Amino acid sequence: MTRPGTEETAEALRRSVASQFGRSLHVRTLDTGSCAACEQEIRLLAAPHYDLHRLGFFFTPAPRHADLLMVTGPMIRAFDVAARKTYEAMPGPKLVVATGACALGGVYQPDAFTHGSVGETLPVDVWIPGCPPSPLALLQGLLVAVDRLAEKVRDLAFIQDGDAG
Amino acid sequence: MPLWFLRGLRRGVVTTRYPHRPDAFAAELPTPPAFRPRALTSELADQLAGICPSWALTRSGTELIFDAGACTACGRCREAAPEAVAASGEFELAATELTHLVKRIPLLGGDDS
Amino acid sequence: MTDLRPDLAAGSPGLARLLSQLGQTAPAGDGPVTTVRVTAADLEDAVRRLAAHEGARLADFFASGGNPAIEGDPVVLRLIWALDGDRRYLIIESLIEGESYPALSDIAPAAFAEECEIYEQFGIRPAGGKPLNRVVLPPHAGPDFPRLGRPPAEEPAEVHAQHEVGGHAFEFPFGPVRQVGVESLYYGLVTSGEEVVDLYLFTWHKHRGVEWRLRGRTPREALFHVERMEGLGSVGAAWAFAAAAEAALEIDPPAPAVRARAVALELERLYNHAAATAALCQSTGLTVGQAAAEIALERMLRLNAAAFGHRYLFGVVDIGGARRGPDSAALRSGLPGAYGDLRQAADALLSTNSFVDRLEATGILTREAAQRLGLVGPVARAAGRAADVRADHPAEPYSTLPPVVATGKSGDVLARFRVMLAEADESVRLIGELLEAGAGPGLAELPEGTTSRTDRSGLGWAESSRGEALAWVALDRSGRITRARLRPASVRNWRGFDDACRSQNVFTDIPIIEASFWLTVAGTSR
Repeated sequence: MTRPGTEETAEALRRSVASQFGRSLHVRTLDTGSCAACEQEIRLLAAPHYDLHRLGFFFTPAPRHADLLMVTGPMIRAFDVAARKTYEAMPGPKLVVATGACALGGVYQPDAFTHGSVGETLPVDVWIPGCPPSPLALLQGLLVAVDRLAEKVRDLAFIQDGDAG
Repeated sequence: MPLWFLRGLRRGVVTTRYPHRPDAFAAELPTPPAFRPRALTSELADQLAGICPSWALTRSGTELIFDAGACTACGRCREAAPEAVAASGEFELAATELTHLVKRIPLLGGDDS
Repeated sequence: MTDLRPDLAAGSPGLARLLSQLGQTAPAGDGPVTTVRVTAADLEDAVRRLAAHEGARLADFFASGGNPAIEGDPVVLRLIWALDGDRRYLIIESLIEGESYPALSDIAPAAFAEECEIYEQFGIRPAGGKPLNRVVLPPHAGPDFPRLGRPPAEEPAEVHAQHEVGGHAFEFPFGPVRQVGVESLYYGLVTSGEEVVDLYLFTWHKHRGVEWRLRGRTPREALFHVERMEGLGSVGAAWAFAAAAEAALEIDPPAPAVRARAVALELERLYNHAAATAALCQSTGLTVGQAAAEIALERMLRLNAAAFGHRYLFGVVDIGGARRGPDSAALRSGLPGAYGDLRQAADALLSTNSFVDRLEATGILTREAAQRLGLVGPVARAAGRAADVRADHPAEPYSTLPPVVATGKSGDVLARFRVMLAEADESVRLIGELLEAGAGPGLAELPEGTTSRTDRSGLGWAESSRGEALAWVALDRSGRITRARLRPASVRNWRGFDDACRSQNVFTDIPIIEASFWLTVAGTSR
């Protein structure tokens, strides 16, 4: 998977795409081999406790109407064709959000069964960790993807307070 | 239909205010680890790397490399070494590059490799 | 004072007779699992006898051995029969030297998918030349693809039952990418317009090779992957697997830890049934009901996090007991409200005629079909087959705190929904009793290092929300896995889905039937 030029250019591109989505975004999901827990958390985004509609996000079954593809699972190799077809059926501009530890290279290493990461088959714009990521984490991820929330994790050190080592 | 309507009104609003206000529920979720470099010897780092079932921890020279993307917050590293590892409490982990999720934790002491 | 109750632990006279017919000369003993070795020549006869035995059900059928690195390493077949009437699991072990074994699915139709799987993974096939389907491995899996044994001589075909329809019918593939927010599932649909003439599932596209991956690991290491095989059934799978390892290692978890497992298992049952309710509402277009059920579901998941530290109860079960115990105070204060929400939603739904009309007489699965296909769980119980391992193969804590088993008669979507609601009620009652008796973390000590005992094996089971979850594990002398067999309920019950969709249903009924089964694709395609 190639990224155009430097990281700065990629970041600028993503932000320009994200800014076009303004206040409304249509989301299509894609399961490439998950354990089904990620899907349950994603479904709950439309449930009363989280209500993604109030943020202008909507689920759509049709890739042709989708702006953002939310991908779960470790990209099982048998899925490559279906994954590419779904992505290519989406008109640009479009975003891809890899969701859950399996999609981010955890749980499964690359082997004959799986790629181990969604990034091996699709160009990913935002990565959401978790096993499974809770609906709150998913909301944060979607908002980062459309540039309505700033990314936070880049500046986190995961070192306990008062311990500069 | 009136039966549903009335019940809905009585119950009130359950929707989270996130992102406009923090949601208290976030505090009850498992989160990736935060490390204490002062307690992380090379031996302990190797041990933790062996315990992690998701390949989120590897030791590289004088650093412990932590991949927060691969981490499932299972808690095994924390249970094995509570003096060196605690829950970070962070759940807003979305990253625009996978590299933003890879953290270098300095180890205690000199350079063993 | 003579106890007039029969000693069920020793099994019925019928069981003793059966065992002697199978050539078991040693006494049956009073364990819940009996293993009988049968030669390949006697296998067909043994299966015939078991299929005829009252209350017997073929629970699983798998192979081990056949290591391609060892010249001539024979394959060992194991059939796990659940003798629900005798409180016994009977494992038939048979060594197969050649490339074929007697055709068993003719006698026990429930064995067909497993015969296909054994052919793909071990290269041996039932005699008679019946065409075998591709069930487990994806089409691109050539001879070098990682397998549990040797590759088959020929590729399996895609063969489906002949279908007759008046006039024209057309056939089209559906999926694997389908409705938003659901797992990928690939199936073939045969229709003459609106009605479902035939539906057949492809179950290989989410194959992650979980059983293959577990080899060489310790049971404790393996548990991480077992939990993530089917995330919505993690406690059931983890319990069955841990119990299998504990049987192999001959260790007993402490009583409070076993009760902690049961609290987690009942919480898992509860949230799954709430999720199924929401899915039923979504499939019938009742958005308000869906929202109400989702409120209950979200409260239950938050309760799981408060009680055990994870919304989906990962990390509770461990080999030797439970790593975490429930926060009893949190459960006592949170459970009535969360369950109350589900109960209110369910009561309102059952008084909504437009909803009930969609469920009644839809997706009928007969008792005969449930029997023939070896189905388990609420799907089987709603069709009148009252099998529940908590009652039929009781292990602690259920032997002390037996559940009331809910059954139905009509086998339609409505019956399955009612069974789930009754089970949810019973789960809440059980959780109260378990907390009363004391539930907390604790681990029995695992034996250290290598042992002089030869390879050990064990069978474990749990009644997950979808039905009986089974696991069988074989360990080498150092305690590492040589073969792990994982059989969540979804593996058995998807084959009932085809049947239920066929019985005079239309397209729009398919999501309703799928919601009423509430299985996962991950659990079958592991």
